Amino acid sequence: MRKTFLWLSAVFMLVPLYVLTVNAFKGQQEILADPFGLAGLTLEPLARALTNPQFNVVKGYAITLLFVVAVNVLSVVLAAPAAYVIARSPKRRFRVLMLFFLAGTFIPGQVLVIPVVYVLKTLGLMGTIRGFVLFETTLTLPFSIFLYAGYIATIPAVLDQAAAVDGAGRLRTFWQIVFPLMRPAVATMVILNTFSVWNDFVNPQIILGPGSGLYTVTTGVYAAVSQYATDYTVVFPTLLLAIAPLLVFFVFMQRHIISGLTAGATKG
Amino acid sequence: MTLTREAPVVAAPPAARTRPRRDGLANALMVAPATVLYTVMLIVPVGLAFYLSLTDWDGFSANPAFVGAGNYADLLDDPELRRAAAVTLLIAAAGTAGLNLLGLGFALLVNGASRANTFFRIVLFYPHVLSALVVGFLWSAILGTSGAVNNLVTSWGGEVLPFLSDPEWATVTMIAVLVWAGFGVNVVLYLAGLQAVPHSLIEAARIDGATRWQVFRNVTLPALGPSVTVNIVLSLVTLLKTYDLVVSLTAGGPAGQTQTVAYLILWNSFHDARLGFGSAQSVILMLVTAALAFVVTRLRRRGELAVHQ
Repeated sequence: MRKTFLWLSAVFMLVPLYVLTVNAFKGQQEILADPFGLAGLTLEPLARALTNPQFNVVKGYAITLLFVVAVNVLSVVLAAPAAYVIARSPKRRFRVLMLFFLAGTFIPGQVLVIPVVYVLKTLGLMGTIRGFVLFETTLTLPFSIFLYAGYIATIPAVLDQAAAVDGAGRLRTFWQIVFPLMRPAVATMVILNTFSVWNDFVNPQIILGPGSGLYTVTTGVYAAVSQYATDYTVVFPTLLLAIAPLLVFFVFMQRHIISGLTAGATKG
Repeated sequence: MTLTREAPVVAAPPAARTRPRRDGLANALMVAPATVLYTVMLIVPVGLAFYLSLTDWDGFSANPAFVGAGNYADLLDDPELRRAAAVTLLIAAAGTAGLNLLGLGFALLVNGASRANTFFRIVLFYPHVLSALVVGFLWSAILGTSGAVNNLVTSWGGEVLPFLSDPEWATVTMIAVLVWAGFGVNVVLYLAGLQAVPHSLIEAARIDGATRWQVFRNVTLPALGPSVTVNIVLSLVTLLKTYDLVVSLTAGGPAGQTQTVAYLILWNSFHDARLGFGSAQSVILMLVTAALAFVVTRLRRRGELAVHQ
């Protein structure tokens, strides 16, 4: 009974993915005549989606990857040393700083987008890659610092002291001794940030804007699909191209991703 | 003021004095970049949201005019916003119920280590890694008037089902898609909570002759208390800001009947160039979200205390 019910549920969860995949390889007539069938499979719609003038998928991948890498690198470089000082220093001002960063985990990104437009315009960064990467990185900071500080607290401080006795300064102690030990925490954050940057729609749509010609995979899908919602030979291949890299990443890394996203989801 | 809290340096010998000072400088250097960026891009904007909500900013002018509480007065008798607020609250309430009932139910079903259970967890969870935008476009291709399901229905001689073209159907469809895409997260969170339920308690209850339902009702569920609170608050907060799925599944239609508050905020701000008005709406949304999260946490805590007495 339990097994049957679970298998039926699994089918219900997977049917949309099946419909998406098979119809990405069919013409409009075949899709309309039999959306669940396998007749008349062809690579032609997928090839057309790859060369869609509305949305250059390959360029979209490249831009999104650039953003993912830039945000992840910047986030680690900024959050990890700050978390180290917060975790190691007994001074009260750093405990206050932790609370200051924690407050940020409670502010939803959607509320920020209007005033951030104001800030970016004032700084002359509106519509630029730099402005977008800086804001997207900022959104990752509160939870990264929280997670890193908690992780650093589990690394014995004797290690730092030994390095200090050997004459290493604080910066060197951190980057050469402590940082390499933070790999699990950094991996969790990189996974979380990769998904949130890849899937973000509002921020790239508004900060980069259609005028900049910079489409991420998500804003590109919007540009390509929203006007042609009933031309299924555009919809299905484009959606498939948008999710394929993420699904492959998910299948291979599902253990880490599920535990990482759980950590992320409980941040509130 | 912070200077007075420095460690006393008067009596320290020269060698020991340079070290903390150098460390102090290094500390400042390591903390400063993150703090500055965070302040400029997150703390300042939160303050600005309040300020801009008192202006008529259109997104372009450098010096928006101050209009006092004008935006808040407009917002009170805006019929569109009232409808969007009702839709959003309905989505949040029904969605939270759906996410948590399915989340807890499936967590109980796939609890325990086995290959099949791992497979089921992955399958229940995977929609969460897709962007809400893609999920919405996909389901609109499946449930739209000429979509996959209606093709099947009409080819069997049935009438077209108005999943997305009737206001009431569209709202229900949206809630269902939100639950479909999101309850995998709740399953995983409840599974984590179930690990913390003491096995000895369950066995003791079984030995005393409790039925499966009695064990669940009187042992498992009370022990899951904190998990339930986290899941409810998390679902509420997430659903109250539903935006991407509205854009892709219904585009707010039919006739604006499925617009949520977040949809209206961004529409007013960036389509109608009324960012001051949009700011007022986002300030309200932020306050309502915080208040609801607070109230739910308080009510749940009182409930948990009552259970323990």
